[in-house]
Amino acid sequence: MDALLRELREGPDGIAEYYDTEISSKQLTIGSAADRNIQLLGRGIAPEHAMLVLAGSQLMLECRRGEVVRLNGKKRATARLEVGDVIELAGHRLRIAQPPPGFNAAIELQPNDRIDASAFESAFRTDLSQTFLGKRSLAWAGVLLVMVFGLLLPFFVMKLHHAGTATPSWIPGDKFWNSGPLHQVHQQAIGDRCETCHQKLFQRVQDAACTECHRTTHDHIMPARLALTELGPTPRCASCHREHNEPQTFLVNRSDSVCVDCHADPEPGFGQIKLDRVLGFALQRHPEFKPHLLVSTAVPAGSGFTYEWKTLVTELDKAHEQSNLKFSHQQHLDPNQVLRRGDSKPLNCADCHRLEPDGEHFAPISMEQQCSSCHELTFDPGAPDRQLPHGKPREVILTLQDYFTRKFSDPNAGRATRERRRLPGREDEEETCTGVPFDCAMRSARKEIESQFTRRGCIGCHAVIDTKAANVFDRFQVIPIRFARDYFPANRFDHRSHRIQGKSTGDDACLSCHAARKSEDASDLMVPGITKCTECHGDRAATQRVTLQCVSCHEYHPRDPTLLEELRNGASTRLTTTLNRETKPAPAGELAGS
Amino acid sequence: MIHRNLLSYRGARYLWWSLGLIVASCALYVTQGDSQPPNGGTWQGYVLGTVGALLIVWLTMLGVRKRRYSSTSGTVQGWTSAHVYLGSALIVTATLHSGIQVGWNLHTLAYVLMCVVILSGLFGLYTYMSYPQLISKNREGGARAQLFAELFDLDRSARSVASRCAPDIAIAVDSSIERTTLGGGIYSQLFSRDGSYFVRGEGKPVRNTDQQQVIDFVGARLPRAAKGAEAANLQQLIVLLCRRQAVLRRIRRDIRLYGWLKIWLYFHVPVTIALLVALVLHIIVTFFYW
Repeated sequence: MDALLRELREGPDGIAEYYDTEISSKQLTIGSAADRNIQLLGRGIAPEHAMLVLAGSQLMLECRRGEVVRLNGKKRATARLEVGDVIELAGHRLRIAQPPPGFNAAIELQPNDRIDASAFESAFRTDLSQTFLGKRSLAWAGVLLVMVFGLLLPFFVMKLHHAGTATPSWIPGDKFWNSGPLHQVHQQAIGDRCETCHQKLFQRVQDAACTECHRTTHDHIMPARLALTELGPTPRCASCHREHNEPQTFLVNRSDSVCVDCHADPEPGFGQIKLDRVLGFALQRHPEFKPHLLVSTAVPAGSGFTYEWKTLVTELDKAHEQSNLKFSHQQHLDPNQVLRRGDSKPLNCADCHRLEPDGEHFAPISMEQQCSSCHELTFDPGAPDRQLPHGKPREVILTLQDYFTRKFSDPNAGRATRERRRLPGREDEEETCTGVPFDCAMRSARKEIESQFTRRGCIGCHAVIDTKAANVFDRFQVIPIRFARDYFPANRFDHRSHRIQGKSTGDDACLSCHAARKSEDASDLMVPGITKCTECHGDRAATQRVTLQCVSCHEYHPRDPTLLEELRNGASTRLTTTLNRETKPAPAGELAGS
Repeated sequence: MIHRNLLSYRGARYLWWSLGLIVASCALYVTQGDSQPPNGGTWQGYVLGTVGALLIVWLTMLGVRKRRYSSTSGTVQGWTSAHVYLGSALIVTATLHSGIQVGWNLHTLAYVLMCVVILSGLFGLYTYMSYPQLISKNREGGARAQLFAELFDLDRSARSVASRCAPDIAIAVDSSIERTTLGGGIYSQLFSRDGSYFVRGEGKPVRNTDQQQVIDFVGARLPRAAKGAEAANLQQLIVLLCRRQAVLRRIRRDIRLYGWLKIWLYFHVPVTIALLVALVLHIIVTFFYW
């Protein structure tokens, strides 16, 4: 359209002046921007505020969205314009005039002279608040995001899980509430199903959630024992086992305070249970060790005795093995007295004592495995290939009787040995006995039996009771040998990690704790006391000290609570050996010990 | 000199407060023992968390205190000084509360939001310390409105002079004025992007960055000016365009400095609100799944 814009200004002399401008364009733009057809400055005038367009021959006003003008005193955004209408904008007046010939529109502009040119700034976006950035909108967006991902979605997923509905793992449900990773094993078993442990909102994890899987884990104190004390219920599992932490090695609370909190002063709450005071692991802070030893008592039963083994917990300095074995470590370790068969080298500890795979206990020593390589059970020098059965006194008697019966009755039996070797000065019964061969045989057998049980055979290692009974089978009773498998059943000790101690290795390492070279009797309990341990260990970090915590040696959850109960009650009925004719004795030569 | 007073308010009293808070937080942290790794669940962790949460709420209250002109609870300057110092110390308290355990979870979200708030605040502190001087130096003591008034007058004068010149010069000058950009979007304001054009002879808009091209265009006509009056007009026009160029530079720099002075608040304030929500959820959820 062709428009005539007439600007009325007051000249320097106060007389109104006209400035006419002809404008040819599709529409007539109004605003504060420099590229507007009519550039008006002032408060509230947008860079692109409004425009006048021609619809047919009708002049129309169209304001930009959100902007208005005053048309004849009324706020309007769009309007049909008639001649004489006045548009007011920040004090500027635009009057629609009768267009002269050749023009579609004519506008008289009466600018507001009081407007400062500094309002020109409004033609530009010069402040961040004029951009799409808005503190309020950003804050709302942030709040919305946090609420959706932090509360609503997790809550919804949690409800689904409680209803038994699985959700895909990529949905950030209530695992978004997870404050840290689960222990790998728990993660593998539980995954993202928080409700496995967190069964109720605002409720701490209950022990039942743990024991659902950990069924074989025993409580620190058995309920029956706990009843003897004035202590309250044992702490929640989660009070020691803290999940969702890094590093995950802390899942087990190894702090001494877990134990010492109660055991430092066991008097007040422990009631009938008497326990030693423990403050940690050092000489004055930990009681001396109390070994659990086996003690046998002979109880007459039938024609013989039954040996009942009981566990005795004693003070270490008064402890003596009562295993019924005769053995000298000193003698066996003395190279002047004993050398290994085969290579003639001194015996090593490991020749007899074999560490079990658990690293703590040693395999039981048996006559067959360890002793027999040197100690043969031969009985007739003339028949060195014949040996007595070990551990079966009745079989020994029968074997000897059989041997001599055959020797005296079979004319060929003794010849070979007789021809092979003959000991000088030793009278051969076979040659001197002139009676019935069976009687001779029995006499020889009886002599040898007596010798074996009382002078040179069994008696070498075993204690044998001569009952003087007429019946040879009842006469000698070999007292069984038994060692405690574990002197400290409630403790752990790793022999492997002690095989090298400073510069001591091999036997030196063993002998640095176990005084075997000085032990002449099997009754010596060569278990070192706490003084020995504290040479290297302590409960506090210090130079040249390896720190030990309570749980380094002790277990909070007993492995086998029934065993401990029995030990505490004194009697161990499961360890019973019977010795009589009717019931054959169990192998009596087993030695064990750690 | 607000920054001087802000940091050295009452002999940097709150610096000592914040150092005290940091030392106390560290002391609590190291006494957490060996029963579990340092985390927010020990009693020390709870104390650190409670202190941190209360601090966050108090720091947020600066926004309220600022608007309470009748309040007598300390001066806004004192509040701001404490806000800056204690807010900086919060990063230590909160980090120790977390036990430096992070993950893709709500708790770390709250921590990250807090870090964004604190870091944006530190950036804000930096701009408040250095930009006002740059701004007033750039404006030479005047106000931005004065620069715009000057620009408007220069525009009007240049148009008036240009109308007396050859049509292509008039079009070039008119179009350079009409197509001068200032400010604009976030990027344009912060990095002074100049998208100005002008129409040269053949009617095609060409780039007019920093108004140099239109000055060159007009200047190139000067030697060819036939009449003395035309040369004088062109001379005058070049002077006006050069003055205009200088004013535009100042305005652009002003917009840029002002933008950087304010931009951090667009993160600091909304993220603070999101942080408050995340903080409340963090506390609730901790006891949801106890």
